[in-house]
Amino acid sequence: MANVAQFDLGTHGREARLRALLEDLVQAHINSRPGTRLALAVWHQKDANSDYQHLLELIAGDAMPGFPNDRLSLLWKTGSQTPPYADVFCTTINDFMRRVTADPGQAARYKERFEVLFFDKDLLPPELVEMFQILTEPSGLIKGWVISEEEYDSAQNVQVLLSKHSHTRPLLGLVKTTESADFEYCRGIVHVQIEKKWLPVSPEGIRPYSYYADWQRGRRVYFVFEGGSLYQVLKFEVKGAPELAHRLLRRNADDRYPEVYLRTVPVPARPAA
Amino acid sequence: MTDTLKSTCEQCLYLRDPQLEFLPAAFERQRELILRDLRELVTAASLEQEKSVVLLAGGLLEAVLFCFIESQSGYIEARRGSFTFDPEQSLSNFVSIFNRWFSDVHSIPDLVVDYRDIVHINRELQFDPDICSRAARELLRLLDSLLGRLAEYAKK
Repeated sequence: MANVAQFDLGTHGREARLRALLEDLVQAHINSRPGTRLALAVWHQKDANSDYQHLLELIAGDAMPGFPNDRLSLLWKTGSQTPPYADVFCTTINDFMRRVTADPGQAARYKERFEVLFFDKDLLPPELVEMFQILTEPSGLIKGWVISEEEYDSAQNVQVLLSKHSHTRPLLGLVKTTESADFEYCRGIVHVQIEKKWLPVSPEGIRPYSYYADWQRGRRVYFVFEGGSLYQVLKFEVKGAPELAHRLLRRNADDRYPEVYLRTVPVPARPAA
Repeated sequence: MTDTLKSTCEQCLYLRDPQLEFLPAAFERQRELILRDLRELVTAASLEQEKSVVLLAGGLLEAVLFCFIESQSGYIEARRGSFTFDPEQSLSNFVSIFNRWFSDVHSIPDLVVDYRDIVHINRELQFDPDICSRAARELLRLLDSLLGRLAEYAKK
Protein backbone atom coordinates (compact mmCIF):
# COMPACT_ATOMS: atom_id res chain seq x y z
CA MET A 1 0.00 0.00 0.00
CA ALA A 2 1.39 3.37 -0.93
CA ASN A 3 2.25 5.66 1.92
CA VAL A 4 1.86 9.43 1.99
CA ALA A 5 5.46 9.94 0.90
CA GLN A 6 4.84 7.96 -2.27
CA PHE A 7 1.59 9.74 -3.06
CA ASP A 8 2.18 11.86 -6.16
CA LEU A 9 0.52 15.14 -5.26
CA GLY A 10 2.18 16.79 -8.25
CA THR A 11 0.26 14.66 -10.73
CA HIS A 12 -3.01 15.19 -8.88
CA GLY A 13 -2.44 18.92 -8.82
CA ARG A 14 -1.62 19.01 -12.53
CA GLU A 15 -4.69 16.92 -13.34
CA ALA A 16 -6.93 19.24 -11.31
CA ARG A 17 -5.52 22.27 -13.11
CA LEU A 18 -5.89 20.66 -16.54
CA ARG A 19 -9.47 19.69 -15.71
CA ALA A 20 -10.21 23.27 -14.72
CA LEU A 21 -8.68 24.64 -17.92
CA LEU A 22 -10.56 22.14 -20.08
CA GLU A 23 -13.84 22.88 -18.28
CA ASP A 24 -13.28 26.58 -18.91
CA LEU A 25 -12.71 25.85 -22.61
CA VAL A 26 -15.88 23.76 -22.81
CA GLN A 27 -17.86 26.49 -21.06
CA ALA A 28 -16.47 29.06 -23.50
CA HIS A 29 -17.56 26.86 -26.40
CA ILE A 30 -21.06 26.55 -24.94
CA ASN A 31 -21.29 30.34 -24.61
CA SER A 32 -19.70 31.27 -27.92
CA ARG A 33 -21.35 28.99 -30.48
CA PRO A 34 -24.82 30.35 -31.18
CA GLY A 35 -27.11 27.91 -32.90
CA THR A 36 -25.30 24.81 -31.65
CA ARG A 37 -26.11 22.77 -28.57
CA LEU A 38 -23.27 20.93 -26.94
CA ALA A 39 -24.41 17.49 -25.84
CA LEU A 40 -21.18 15.97 -24.57
CA ALA A 41 -17.58 16.89 -23.79
CA VAL A 42 -15.14 14.11 -22.96
CA TRP A 43 -11.52 14.43 -21.88
CA HIS A 44 -9.94 11.24 -23.17
CA GLN A 45 -6.46 9.69 -23.17
CA LYS A 46 -5.86 11.68 -20.00
CA ASP A 47 -2.22 12.21 -19.18
CA ALA A 48 -1.53 14.92 -16.64
CA ASN A 49 2.18 14.85 -17.51
CA SER A 50 1.67 15.56 -21.20
CA ASP A 51 1.52 18.96 -22.85
CA TYR A 52 -1.17 17.64 -25.19
CA GLN A 53 -4.67 16.81 -23.99
CA HIS A 54 -7.56 15.39 -26.00
CA LEU A 55 -11.08 16.73 -25.95
CA LEU A 56 -14.09 15.27 -27.76
CA GLU A 57 -17.10 17.54 -28.19
CA LEU A 58 -20.38 16.28 -29.63
CA ILE A 59 -23.15 18.60 -30.70
CA ALA A 60 -26.81 17.88 -31.28
CA GLY A 61 -28.44 18.13 -34.69
CA ASP A 62 -27.29 17.22 -38.16
CA ALA A 63 -25.46 20.39 -39.19
CA MET A 64 -21.72 19.86 -39.06
CA PRO A 65 -19.96 22.42 -36.87
CA GLY A 66 -18.76 25.45 -38.76
CA PHE A 67 -15.65 25.85 -36.62
CA PRO A 68 -12.39 24.05 -37.22
CA ASN A 69 -11.09 21.15 -35.18
CA ASP A 70 -7.91 22.52 -33.82
CA ARG A 71 -5.10 22.45 -31.34
CA LEU A 72 -5.73 25.20 -28.82
CA SER A 73 -3.60 26.52 -26.02
CA LEU A 74 -5.42 25.98 -22.74
CA LEU A 75 -3.99 29.31 -21.63
CA TRP A 76 -6.00 31.10 -24.35
CA LYS A 77 -7.62 33.40 -21.80
CA THR A 78 -4.28 35.06 -21.17
CA GLY A 79 -3.54 35.40 -24.89
CA SER A 80 -0.75 32.85 -24.58
CA GLN A 81 -0.12 30.22 -27.24
CA THR A 82 2.04 28.06 -25.00
CA PRO A 83 1.42 24.56 -23.54
CA PRO A 84 -0.65 22.85 -22.34
CA TYR A 85 -2.66 22.34 -25.52
CA ALA A 86 -5.98 20.67 -26.21
CA ASP A 87 -6.59 18.77 -29.42
CA VAL A 88 -10.29 19.38 -29.88
CA PHE A 89 -12.36 17.13 -32.08
CA CYS A 90 -15.91 18.40 -32.46
CA THR A 91 -18.59 16.78 -34.54
CA THR A 92 -22.26 15.88 -34.49
CA ILE A 93 -23.61 12.97 -32.49
CA ASN A 94 -24.76 11.25 -35.65
CA ASP A 95 -21.39 11.60 -37.35
CA PHE A 96 -19.63 10.31 -34.26
CA MET A 97 -21.94 7.30 -34.04
CA ARG A 98 -21.26 6.49 -37.70
CA ARG A 99 -17.50 6.71 -37.13
CA VAL A 100 -17.38 4.47 -34.05
CA THR A 101 -19.75 1.96 -35.63
CA ALA A 102 -17.59 1.74 -38.73
CA ASP A 103 -14.34 1.63 -36.76
CA PRO A 104 -14.63 0.22 -33.21
CA GLY A 105 -10.96 1.08 -32.70
CA GLN A 106 -11.97 4.74 -32.61
CA ALA A 107 -14.47 4.04 -29.84
CA ALA A 108 -11.75 2.35 -27.82
CA ARG A 109 -9.54 5.42 -28.21
CA TYR A 110 -12.24 7.74 -26.82
CA LYS A 111 -12.86 5.41 -23.87
CA GLU A 112 -9.20 5.27 -22.93
CA ARG A 113 -8.65 7.05 -19.58
CA PHE A 114 -11.71 9.24 -20.17
CA GLU A 115 -13.64 11.66 -18.04
CA VAL A 116 -16.95 13.27 -18.96
CA LEU A 117 -16.63 17.02 -18.40
CA PHE A 118 -20.08 18.03 -19.62
CA PHE A 119 -23.25 16.34 -20.76
CA ASP A 120 -26.84 17.11 -21.56
CA LYS A 121 -28.55 13.78 -21.18
CA ASP A 122 -31.68 14.95 -22.97
CA LEU A 123 -29.64 15.29 -26.16
CA LEU A 124 -27.73 12.02 -25.93
CA PRO A 125 -28.78 8.67 -27.41
CA PRO A 126 -28.73 5.69 -25.01
CA GLU A 127 -25.68 4.23 -26.77
CA LEU A 128 -23.57 7.24 -25.80
CA VAL A 129 -24.97 7.32 -22.27
CA GLU A 130 -23.86 3.72 -21.93
CA MET A 131 -20.55 4.16 -23.77
CA PHE A 132 -19.41 6.93 -21.44
CA GLN A 133 -21.10 5.49 -18.34
CA ILE A 134 -23.14 8.60 -17.65
CA LEU A 135 -25.06 7.76 -14.51
CA THR A 136 -27.68 10.33 -13.57
CA GLU A 137 -30.11 8.22 -11.60
CA PRO A 138 -30.03 5.08 -9.50
CA SER A 139 -31.45 1.88 -10.85
CA GLY A 140 -35.21 1.63 -10.33
CA LEU A 141 -35.80 5.34 -9.80
CA ILE A 142 -39.28 6.52 -10.76
CA LYS A 143 -39.96 10.22 -11.29
CA GLY A 144 -43.06 12.09 -10.45
CA TRP A 145 -44.99 15.19 -9.52
CA VAL A 146 -46.89 16.40 -6.51
CA ILE A 147 -50.68 16.56 -6.56
CA SER A 148 -52.46 18.75 -4.03
CA GLU A 149 -55.69 17.88 -2.23
CA GLU A 150 -57.67 20.23 -4.44
CA GLU A 151 -56.16 18.89 -7.64
CA TYR A 152 -56.79 15.30 -6.61
CA ASP A 153 -60.39 16.02 -5.63
CA SER A 154 -61.13 17.65 -8.97
CA ALA A 155 -59.19 15.19 -11.14
CA GLN A 156 -61.03 13.22 -13.81
CA ASN A 157 -58.45 10.53 -14.35
CA VAL A 158 -54.75 9.82 -14.01
CA GLN A 159 -54.06 10.65 -17.66
CA VAL A 160 -55.36 14.17 -17.16
CA LEU A 161 -53.21 14.57 -14.06
CA LEU A 162 -50.18 13.31 -15.93
CA SER A 163 -50.80 15.50 -18.95
CA LYS A 164 -50.90 18.57 -16.70
CA HIS A 165 -47.49 17.82 -15.24
CA SER A 166 -45.48 15.54 -17.45
CA HIS A 167 -44.16 18.30 -19.73
CA THR A 168 -42.36 19.90 -16.78
CA ARG A 169 -39.32 18.72 -14.86
CA PRO A 170 -40.31 16.01 -12.33
CA LEU A 171 -40.33 17.40 -8.81
CA LEU A 172 -39.22 14.26 -7.07
CA GLY A 173 -37.87 10.78 -7.58
CA LEU A 174 -38.47 7.60 -5.64
CA VAL A 175 -36.40 4.48 -5.17
CA LYS A 176 -38.73 1.88 -3.73
CA THR A 177 -37.45 -0.01 -0.70
CA THR A 178 -40.51 -2.13 0.04
CA GLU A 179 -43.69 -3.00 -1.81
CA SER A 180 -46.63 -5.09 -0.64
CA ALA A 181 -47.49 -8.23 -2.57
CA ASP A 182 -50.69 -6.66 -3.89
CA PHE A 183 -48.80 -3.45 -4.86
CA GLU A 184 -51.19 -1.37 -2.76
CA TYR A 185 -48.54 -0.14 -0.35
CA CYS A 186 -44.94 0.80 -0.88
CA ARG A 187 -42.14 2.75 0.72
CA GLY A 188 -39.25 4.54 -0.88
CA ILE A 189 -36.39 6.97 -0.56
CA VAL A 190 -37.23 10.46 -1.82
CA HIS A 191 -34.84 11.90 -4.39
CA VAL A 192 -34.27 15.35 -5.82
CA GLN A 193 -32.35 16.50 -8.89
CA ILE A 194 -29.04 18.19 -8.14
CA GLU A 195 -26.64 18.99 -10.96
CA LYS A 196 -28.76 16.84 -13.31
CA LYS A 197 -28.34 13.83 -11.02
CA TRP A 198 -31.04 12.25 -8.93
CA LEU A 199 -29.73 12.14 -5.36
CA PRO A 200 -31.40 11.15 -2.10
CA VAL A 201 -32.73 14.08 -0.17
CA SER A 202 -31.42 14.47 3.38
CA PRO A 203 -33.65 14.55 6.47
CA GLU A 204 -33.03 18.31 6.67
CA GLY A 205 -33.19 18.82 2.92
CA ILE A 206 -36.79 17.61 2.63
CA ARG A 207 -38.15 20.33 4.90
CA PRO A 208 -38.40 23.15 2.33
CA TYR A 209 -40.70 21.18 0.05
CA SER A 210 -44.38 22.06 0.11
CA TYR A 211 -45.50 18.43 0.03
CA TYR A 212 -43.61 17.77 3.26
CA ALA A 213 -44.92 20.91 4.94
CA ASP A 214 -48.48 20.10 3.78
CA TRP A 215 -48.22 16.55 5.11
CA GLN A 216 -46.94 17.88 8.44
CA ARG A 217 -50.00 20.11 8.64
CA GLY A 218 -52.29 17.13 8.14
CA ARG A 219 -53.21 17.83 4.53
CA ARG A 220 -53.54 15.03 2.03
CA VAL A 221 -50.64 14.85 -0.40
CA TYR A 222 -50.47 12.74 -3.56
CA PHE A 223 -47.69 11.78 -5.92
CA VAL A 224 -48.25 10.79 -9.54
CA PHE A 225 -45.39 9.02 -11.26
CA GLU A 226 -44.40 8.53 -14.87
CA GLY A 227 -46.35 5.54 -16.09
CA GLY A 228 -49.46 6.59 -14.20
CA SER A 229 -49.08 5.28 -10.64
CA LEU A 230 -50.97 7.51 -8.23
CA TYR A 231 -50.21 7.33 -4.52
CA GLN A 232 -51.27 9.09 -1.36
CA VAL A 233 -48.55 9.93 1.14
CA LEU A 234 -49.19 8.16 4.42
CA LYS A 235 -46.15 9.41 6.30
CA PHE A 236 -42.49 10.33 6.15
CA GLU A 237 -40.00 8.70 8.48
CA VAL A 238 -36.26 9.17 8.73
CA LYS A 239 -34.53 5.85 8.37
CA GLY A 240 -30.93 4.86 9.05
CA ALA A 241 -30.14 2.56 6.17
CA PRO A 242 -26.45 1.89 5.42
CA GLU A 243 -27.56 -1.12 3.37
CA LEU A 244 -29.04 1.25 0.78
CA ALA A 245 -25.72 2.93 -0.04
CA HIS A 246 -24.97 0.63 -2.99
CA ARG A 247 -28.36 1.37 -4.56
CA LEU A 248 -28.05 5.17 -4.50
CA LEU A 249 -25.75 7.57 -6.33
CA ARG A 250 -24.76 9.36 -3.12
CA ARG A 251 -24.71 8.41 0.53
CA ASN A 252 -26.26 10.80 3.00
CA ALA A 253 -24.42 11.72 6.18
CA ASP A 254 -24.86 8.92 8.73
CA ASP A 255 -26.78 6.98 6.05
CA ARG A 256 -30.01 8.67 7.13
CA TYR A 257 -32.77 9.03 4.55
CA PRO A 258 -36.35 10.26 4.69
CA GLU A 259 -38.49 7.32 3.68
CA VAL A 260 -41.99 7.96 2.41
CA TYR A 261 -44.85 5.52 3.00
CA LEU A 262 -47.31 5.44 0.11
CA ARG A 263 -50.65 3.84 -0.69
CA THR A 264 -52.14 3.47 -4.16
CA VAL A 265 -55.33 5.45 -4.57
CA PRO A 266 -57.90 5.66 -7.33
CA VAL A 267 -58.94 8.97 -8.81
CA PRO A 268 -62.35 9.94 -7.44
CA ALA A 269 -65.04 8.92 -9.95
CA ARG A 270 -66.07 12.12 -11.66
CA PRO A 271 -67.86 12.58 -14.96
CA ALA A 272 -66.06 14.64 -17.57
CA ALA A 273 -67.30 18.23 -17.75
CA MET B 1 -55.03 24.47 4.76
CA THR B 2 -51.63 25.15 3.16
CA ASP B 3 -49.22 27.34 5.10
CA THR B 4 -49.67 31.00 4.34
CA LEU B 5 -46.61 32.84 3.12
CA LYS B 6 -46.70 34.83 6.33
CA SER B 7 -46.66 31.72 8.52
CA THR B 8 -44.01 30.11 6.32
CA CYS B 9 -41.84 33.20 6.66
CA GLU B 10 -42.38 33.28 10.43
CA GLN B 11 -40.82 29.83 10.61
CA CYS B 12 -37.76 31.03 8.67
CA LEU B 13 -35.35 32.22 11.33
CA TYR B 14 -32.59 33.36 8.99
CA LEU B 15 -34.88 35.42 6.79
CA ARG B 16 -36.17 37.38 9.75
CA ASP B 17 -32.86 37.58 11.60
CA PRO B 18 -30.18 37.43 8.90
CA GLN B 19 -26.68 36.40 9.91
CA LEU B 20 -24.43 37.41 7.05
CA GLU B 21 -21.06 36.84 8.70
CA PHE B 22 -20.13 34.63 5.75
CA LEU B 23 -19.65 37.84 3.78
CA PRO B 24 -16.23 39.44 4.22
CA ALA B 25 -16.04 42.87 5.81
CA ALA B 26 -15.16 44.38 2.44
CA PHE B 27 -18.61 43.35 1.10
CA GLU B 28 -20.37 46.14 2.95
CA ARG B 29 -22.43 47.31 -0.03
CA GLN B 30 -23.41 43.75 -0.92
CA ARG B 31 -24.52 43.17 2.67
CA GLU B 32 -26.69 46.32 2.57
CA LEU B 33 -28.36 45.21 -0.66
CA ILE B 34 -29.06 41.71 0.63
CA LEU B 35 -30.47 43.06 3.90
CA ARG B 36 -32.68 45.50 2.00
CA ASP B 37 -34.02 42.73 -0.22
CA LEU B 38 -34.58 40.44 2.76
CA ARG B 39 -36.65 43.15 4.44
CA GLU B 40 -38.71 43.54 1.28
CA LEU B 41 -39.09 39.77 1.03
CA VAL B 42 -40.46 39.49 4.57
CA THR B 43 -42.87 42.34 3.84
CA ALA B 44 -44.06 40.71 0.60
CA ALA B 45 -44.54 37.40 2.40
CA SER B 46 -46.52 39.01 5.21
CA LEU B 47 -48.81 40.50 2.55
CA GLU B 48 -49.20 37.07 0.84
CA GLN B 49 -47.74 38.43 -2.42
CA GLU B 50 -46.69 35.23 -4.14
CA LYS B 51 -45.16 36.61 -7.30
CA SER B 52 -43.25 39.30 -5.41
CA VAL B 53 -41.89 36.62 -3.10
CA VAL B 54 -40.75 34.52 -6.08
CA LEU B 55 -39.04 37.56 -7.62
CA LEU B 56 -37.32 38.62 -4.42
CA ALA B 57 -36.40 35.16 -3.14
CA GLY B 58 -35.03 34.14 -6.55
CA GLY B 59 -33.01 37.34 -6.74
CA LEU B 60 -31.74 36.84 -3.21
CA LEU B 61 -30.63 33.28 -3.93
CA GLU B 62 -28.61 34.63 -6.83
CA ALA B 63 -27.25 37.50 -4.75
CA VAL B 64 -26.20 35.25 -1.87
CA LEU B 65 -24.50 32.75 -4.17
CA PHE B 66 -22.88 35.54 -6.20
CA CYS B 67 -21.35 37.11 -3.08
CA PHE B 68 -20.44 33.84 -1.40
CA ILE B 69 -18.70 32.40 -4.47
CA GLU B 70 -16.87 35.66 -5.11
CA SER B 71 -15.67 35.72 -1.50
CA GLN B 72 -14.54 32.08 -1.77
CA SER B 73 -12.71 32.46 -5.10
CA GLY B 74 -9.34 31.80 -3.45
CA TYR B 75 -10.59 28.60 -1.84
CA ILE B 76 -12.04 27.33 -5.12
CA GLU B 77 -8.87 28.23 -7.00
CA ALA B 78 -6.77 26.34 -4.46
CA ARG B 79 -8.89 23.22 -4.90
CA ARG B 80 -9.51 23.52 -8.63
CA GLY B 81 -6.12 24.74 -9.78
CA SER B 82 -7.63 27.70 -11.60
CA PHE B 83 -10.71 29.84 -11.01
CA THR B 84 -11.76 33.29 -12.03
CA PHE B 85 -15.03 34.63 -10.67
CA ASP B 86 -17.27 35.68 -13.56
CA PRO B 87 -19.96 38.11 -12.38
CA GLU B 88 -21.84 37.71 -15.67
CA GLN B 89 -22.72 34.07 -14.99
CA SER B 90 -26.33 33.00 -14.50
CA LEU B 91 -28.07 31.64 -11.41
CA SER B 92 -27.74 28.19 -12.94
CA ASN B 93 -23.95 28.59 -13.11
CA PHE B 94 -23.74 29.89 -9.55
CA VAL B 95 -25.82 26.94 -8.31
CA SER B 96 -23.55 24.59 -10.23
CA ILE B 97 -20.34 26.11 -8.83
CA PHE B 98 -21.76 26.05 -5.30
CA ASN B 99 -22.92 22.44 -5.52
CA ARG B 100 -19.58 21.35 -6.91
CA TRP B 101 -17.32 22.98 -4.33
CA PHE B 102 -19.55 23.36 -1.29
CA SER B 103 -21.71 20.23 -1.33
CA ASP B 104 -20.46 19.48 2.18
CA VAL B 105 -22.05 22.77 3.30
CA HIS B 106 -25.36 22.47 1.45
CA SER B 107 -26.88 21.12 -1.78
CA ILE B 108 -29.15 23.32 -3.86
CA PRO B 109 -31.70 21.48 -6.02
CA ASP B 110 -31.91 22.23 -9.74
CA LEU B 111 -35.55 23.23 -9.42
CA VAL B 112 -34.66 26.57 -7.76
CA VAL B 113 -33.68 27.76 -11.23
CA ASP B 114 -37.06 26.65 -12.62
CA TYR B 115 -38.79 28.44 -9.77
CA ARG B 116 -36.80 31.64 -10.24
CA ASP B 117 -37.44 31.53 -13.99
CA ILE B 118 -41.21 31.72 -13.58
CA VAL B 119 -40.68 35.45 -13.33
CA HIS B 120 -41.02 35.10 -17.13
CA ILE B 121 -44.64 34.58 -18.09
CA ASN B 122 -43.83 32.01 -20.79
CA ARG B 123 -42.10 29.87 -18.16
CA GLU B 124 -44.94 30.18 -15.67
CA LEU B 125 -47.45 29.20 -18.37
CA GLN B 126 -45.59 25.92 -18.87
CA PHE B 127 -46.36 24.79 -15.32
CA ASP B 128 -49.52 23.87 -13.49
CA PRO B 129 -51.57 26.75 -12.01
CA ASP B 130 -50.19 26.13 -8.49
CA ILE B 131 -46.59 26.75 -9.48
CA CYS B 132 -46.30 30.33 -8.22
CA SER B 133 -47.81 29.48 -4.85
CA ARG B 134 -45.59 26.42 -4.45
CA ALA B 135 -42.47 28.19 -5.71
CA ALA B 136 -43.00 31.11 -3.31
CA ARG B 137 -43.26 28.82 -0.28
CA GLU B 138 -40.41 26.57 -1.26
CA LEU B 139 -38.09 29.40 -2.26
CA LEU B 140 -38.65 31.01 1.17
CA ARG B 141 -37.63 27.78 2.90
CA LEU B 142 -34.78 27.01 0.51
CA LEU B 143 -33.32 30.50 0.94
CA ASP B 144 -33.69 30.28 4.72
CA SER B 145 -31.99 26.90 4.70
CA LEU B 146 -29.09 28.22 2.59
CA LEU B 147 -28.62 31.25 4.82
CA GLY B 148 -28.62 28.99 7.87
CA ARG B 149 -25.97 26.70 6.43
CA LEU B 150 -23.76 29.61 5.39
CA ALA B 151 -24.11 31.15 8.86
CA GLU B 152 -22.92 27.84 10.35
CA TYR B 153 -20.09 27.68 7.79
CA ALA B 154 -18.91 31.15 8.83
CA LYS B 155 -18.64 30.06 12.45
CA LYS B 156 -16.30 27.17 11.68
